[in-house]
Amino acid sequence: MDMIMMSMLLLVGLLVLLGAGLWVAFALMGVGWIALSGFTSIPAGDSLATALYGASTSWELAALPMFIWMGEILFRSRLSEDMFSGIAPWVGHIPGRLLHTNILGCGIFAAISGSSAATAATIGKMSIPELTRRGYNREQILGTLAGSATLGLLIPPSIILIVYGIATEQSIARLFVAGILPGLLLIALFTGYVMIWSWLNKDEVPEETQHLPFREKLKHSRRLVPVLLLIVGVIGSIYGGLASPTESAAIGVLLAHLLSWKYGALSWSTFSQALAGTVKTSTMIAFILAGAAFLTTAMGFTGIPRELAAWIGTLALSPYMLLFALTLFFILLGCFLDGISVVVLTTSVILPMVEAAGIDPLWFGIYLVIVVEMSQITPPVGFNLFVLQGLSGDNILKIARAALPYFLLILSGVLIITIFPAVVTYLPNQMGQ
Amino acid sequence: MRHAMDRFYGLGGALAALQLLIIMLMIVIQVLGRIIDNTLLMLHQPPWGLNVPGLAEIAGFLLLGASFFGLAYTFRAGAHIRVTLIIQHLPRAFRQVMEALMILLALGITLYAAWNGAWLAYDSYDFGDVSIGMVPVPLWIPQSAMSAGLLWLAIALVDTLFEVLKGNFATLNHSEVQE
Amino acid sequence: ATSWDMPTPYGDTNFHTQNIRQFAEDVRQATDNELDITVHSNGSLIKHAEIKNAVRRGLVPIGELIMSRLANEDPLFEVDSVPYLASNYDDAWHLWQASKDILAQRLERQRLKLLFAVPWPPQGIYTQFKVNTGEELQGVKMRAYNKSSERLAELLGAQPTQVEVPDIPTAFGTGRVDAMITSPSTGANTRAWDYLTDFNHAQLWLPKNMVVVNLKAFRRLPQAQQQAIEAAAEEAEKRGWAASKAETDAKIGIMQENGIRVSEPSEALKAKLQQVGDTMTQEWLERAGSEGQKILDAYHAM
Ligand code: NA
Ligand code: NA
Repeated sequence: MDMIMMSMLLLVGLLVLLGAGLWVAFALMGVGWIALSGFTSIPAGDSLATALYGASTSWELAALPMFIWMGEILFRSRLSEDMFSGIAPWVGHIPGRLLHTNILGCGIFAAISGSSAATAATIGKMSIPELTRRGYNREQILGTLAGSATLGLLIPPSIILIVYGIATEQSIARLFVAGILPGLLLIALFTGYVMIWSWLNKDEVPEETQHLPFREKLKHSRRLVPVLLLIVGVIGSIYGGLASPTESAAIGVLLAHLLSWKYGALSWSTFSQALAGTVKTSTMIAFILAGAAFLTTAMGFTGIPRELAAWIGTLALSPYMLLFALTLFFILLGCFLDGISVVVLTTSVILPMVEAAGIDPLWFGIYLVIVVEMSQITPPVGFNLFVLQGLSGDNILKIARAALPYFLLILSGVLIITIFPAVVTYLPNQMGQ
Repeated sequence: MRHAMDRFYGLGGALAALQLLIIMLMIVIQVLGRIIDNTLLMLHQPPWGLNVPGLAEIAGFLLLGASFFGLAYTFRAGAHIRVTLIIQHLPRAFRQVMEALMILLALGITLYAAWNGAWLAYDSYDFGDVSIGMVPVPLWIPQSAMSAGLLWLAIALVDTLFEVLKGNFATLNHSEVQE
Repeated sequence: ATSWDMPTPYGDTNFHTQNIRQFAEDVRQATDNELDITVHSNGSLIKHAEIKNAVRRGLVPIGELIMSRLANEDPLFEVDSVPYLASNYDDAWHLWQASKDILAQRLERQRLKLLFAVPWPPQGIYTQFKVNTGEELQGVKMRAYNKSSERLAELLGAQPTQVEVPDIPTAFGTGRVDAMITSPSTGANTRAWDYLTDFNHAQLWLPKNMVVVNLKAFRRLPQAQQQAIEAAAEEAEKRGWAASKAETDAKIGIMQENGIRVSEPSEALKAKLQQVGDTMTQEWLERAGSEGQKILDAYHAM
């Protein structure tokens, strides 16, 4: 089957370009070019220009730099340090201590933002320097972040659930509600893992020494107020009918500025450094997204993802075996393509076979999102890994290894919702007809 | 000369920042308009209907501008990511060749994209394509901005290529992430 | 054999997409598999915003898009979206016959050949309250997404409010918008009952999707294949119009089953819409000039 040969060639091409040290965005564009020029008669240059342009003018994408900017301001105005100091006295007895702030922070932020990259960038900007300074294990800092930032996709609002809902004519409101319990399930899995790991590696988790009386703890917690105000402001602007989820990101930026000004931390230099940092991070991510969009288009023209998916369809598998095959398929493709693109490229082929197998499309939407979450943390193309490399300066394989336990935890999440589909369907079934 | 070049990249970064700032302000105005209208409605007064026409579409264009104008600045700051796992262990002379090759490859792709982007823009200009929203924006404007940003990046790549050929890896090793 | 990639903007369950898949199948059969069109639905290959230019530049040979997307470039493409100018299937068909040749000429200037066009079900008014006379719309926040929807909201006395498509359910849920105008298809497909209560089958206009092909790519085909495409296009247009009518009834039925109150426009509402429609027709004529007048004359003569 020459589809297999083509795929292998492109994979090798991508690995060679990345390994040789070509910048990620260029490596994606380069492989896209090879795919189009080598295997199709499509004008590659035209396709490149169209894809770069189309991928870069998006309203939903505008939330990304806004959230990154918000994180930059919080980081530079020491509001984020205050936040950790406010939480620290409360977690002294919990195994893992402040590592849980990564998981819960991402979980809360996921309720504001629909993107996993924005979640990783915003929370990571604050927590990597602070937890490192406090002496937490580097690998766990990066792992918890990489893993739990993927919740941005599952916990509503969620860009990918909107994409899936529109493509398959599922109710977006129901999909959003269906994402809540699985989101909490993943949070529980992550938290449980951190506790067990910390209990086994007591030396790797620093003492949060402030064993204070309750009143003192409360006093310290006053430092949490600004960040709480920010979260309430952003979420409130959405549910109070003042802002769409995309718009709320800009409200977050404004509030972060107001708060840091109120607490005396806003100066011209914090302002301009924060903006400069925002430009660097968001430009880096946007360029990779544009490169990924071109590779996606190129793959669409070659027909590889469709044909592979269609080939799975010809195997006439039982529902469980079909899900098993699809999971493998998505994990494999998710290593090399951005997860949302995999969904977009293959829905037409996969959804009919899923429905023929009697699988509920609402359940399948949530399943897909969780599988796509895994693709965010698998090398070589994993967006959370890119964001964290940008933030931490650690190399991508180190981050991927740190994220591996979380990959396995998400995979076990997939297993759990497959065995107990009610985790997904219970809440939407409670909604009025 | 070095100073002038750095200012040139800094200008791109500043323009990108300015566009992000405008996006933020436009959205804030839009939301303020809603707050005012909601308040007036509660007081049984007629709303002002203050809003930013074509907000979503224009924010999209500004985002494109920010993403491409910031490319060169971001590159010179060493913030575009890549995998250096292998090349950092190469002997210096070999690494120099590899780095130069990678920059050349990146330069080739950048110029190729800029050239095709320019054709896209020319075509849109020729046929008078405009955006579909409330404010019809001629599409050649954002499309040329894309090519301009790519050219900006191409200049930074050439600049860095000369540095590398002279044995100076500062830009490539440079990483401001550990602040 | 020649293979063509065809990007389309809507999902696989959408009747436009299904009609186009049948069209591709018809072409395959008529050409003995010599011309193989692969349909890439749901913007998976090229997004809606880029489809026209992609076909014009020959990146893909053929594609589908909604006609009124071109309104800002050329007001003639907005003729099917002028409120109450043609507000049922018969009128819409006549308007299409009256405008087809001029629109095809305009597209030819862009190196495009117009193959066929199929209407969406007629646009109605979605609200969270009952609409009787139209007075109810006074001061409410009505979704606007381009200049003419903004103008329509103004003329109805409503407050034009910008809401992007994916944001519609949240915007209704949180009170950022109270009313919108769209087809029964979109209403049922986005499960409008999750976020609103009323639908008025006002039949304001019937916007169309069109299929265009790159002229050069078309002329490069052997004569027999060109004819096969044109024959299949004619069939697809007929089939599509019938499917659209069936879709209207089916989707209104689905909405009723799910508890949406469906109403027909009252005489008072019709009168109000007619008045608004006349104003907007006049304003459209001013933009569209003599070519626009020609279309209207031909339409009224039918
Ligand atoms: Na989210
Ligand atoms: Na991946």
